[in-house]
Amino acid sequence: MNNIKIKSKNLNVYYGDKQALFDVNLDLNEKEVTALIGPSGCGKSTFIRCINRMNDVIDICKVTGNIEMDGMNINDKDLDVVSLRERVGMVFQKPNPFPKSIYDNISYGPKIHGKGETKSELNQIVENSLKKSALWEEVKDRLDEPGTSLSGGQQQRLCIARAISVNPEVILMDEPCSALDPIATAKIEELIDELKKTYTIVIVTHSMAQAVRVSQKTGFFHLGKLIEVGKTEKIFKNPDNKMTQDYITGRFG
Amino acid sequence: MSNEHTVKSYEEELQFLKDSLIKMGSLTESQLSDAMDAVIKVDKDSIDKIIKSDEEINKFRSKIDTQIMNLLVKRAPMAIDLRETISSLKISQDLERIGDLSKSNAKKVKPLPLDLPDELLGNLKRLGELVIKQLTDVLDSYVNKNFDKAKEVWEKDEQVDDLTYIAMESVIDFLSKDKKNLDFSTHLIFATKNLERAGDHITNIAETVCYLVKGEYLKGSRPKGKVIQE
Repeated sequence: MNNIKIKSKNLNVYYGDKQALFDVNLDLNEKEVTALIGPSGCGKSTFIRCINRMNDVIDICKVTGNIEMDGMNINDKDLDVVSLRERVGMVFQKPNPFPKSIYDNISYGPKIHGKGETKSELNQIVENSLKKSALWEEVKDRLDEPGTSLSGGQQQRLCIARAISVNPEVILMDEPCSALDPIATAKIEELIDELKKTYTIVIVTHSMAQAVRVSQKTGFFHLGKLIEVGKTEKIFKNPDNKMTQDYITGRFG
Repeated sequence: MSNEHTVKSYEEELQFLKDSLIKMGSLTESQLSDAMDAVIKVDKDSIDKIIKSDEEINKFRSKIDTQIMNLLVKRAPMAIDLRETISSLKISQDLERIGDLSKSNAKKVKPLPLDLPDELLGNLKRLGELVIKQLTDVLDSYVNKNFDKAKEVWEKDEQVDDLTYIAMESVIDFLSKDKKNLDFSTHLIFATKNLERAGDHITNIAETVCYLVKGEYLKGSRPKGKVIQE
């Protein structure tokens, strides 16, 4: 079993009066893919947003309890959030490239984090990131074209390339394939398989089949609570909790 | 009682699959029992009917295969539904094999003389009754999702092995008395062996039911009787 990269203990999240997460205890293993599943509004996205402190941008949001990365308290108010987000990248539901060239989409992050000081270093980062995200061959001759000119699937791989350009340790993916066709989805899933050799990945997905295909561990959330977590194979063949079973078999009523 | 699927037609498809398997099971049970009766009573008139019922069983098998393929393609079943689907595939295979063995036993009636002595058939009859009871019990365990009952069937196969040994011995004793008995005695030996094999398929079904109910395979090896060990 791999080391624990992220550890949450009694994690609670409130949006104003509404509690969105209740005492979530969840460990994410290093260089493994953890899938988070559950009906809309169950708290899975809220959970991953705690990992890179995305909830900070919501004024009424309050987080209590503990969440750590390699023993470091993520919620520490003195923590440098910019450097946290350098270590924890994120990919969203809809591909959201910057309205800039393909090259600039990738080089922007390293630049603001003070990486790639020379042009050749930056070139190298762009090339490596695009290669790791399996996009290089398709775009190497058109790096100055706008990122938005790519297809949906390519844009999403561009966003993954952008996330890995700053050499993070963790990649959060919030329904990364929900706007993509099956081939583009398959390419992203293939990529996730490759990326997990280097990065710790958390993926929120509404597709059970995708969770089974890409993850080693699965957590099921319902109404802000982590109902069950375990090896993916066990969760989808023989879950312990009836609520998990009802959800994954399509009996949730 | 579990909740129903949000998609009603999915619920219906799964129920339809279970119904098909139960019907196939009950047909296999009657055929096994009829074939046994035919051997014990040397009833040559019933052979054709038994052979025909095997065709019905085979038709169920292909129907169930199609239902399973459709479920896998349309629903990508998970957890208990996945286990239900895969278990149906395995159970239907074992039932079909039991049907083949019953058919084979029915065919063995033809060369038997009408005046077989009781001491020759007594043990075979007991073996047949036990195997039929095992099949009834394992099908009950499937219908009621009863892990303990399935495990009981699994353990009881040891008795099937022992009775097979005893029944074989009676036939061989009889055979050794007079070489004229050789021809039909061989058929009786095969019929006995077929029942023992049917018993093995029943234990396979018992194992599948245990997996279906608990999601894990039975640990350890099945207790085995005399015939298997020697």
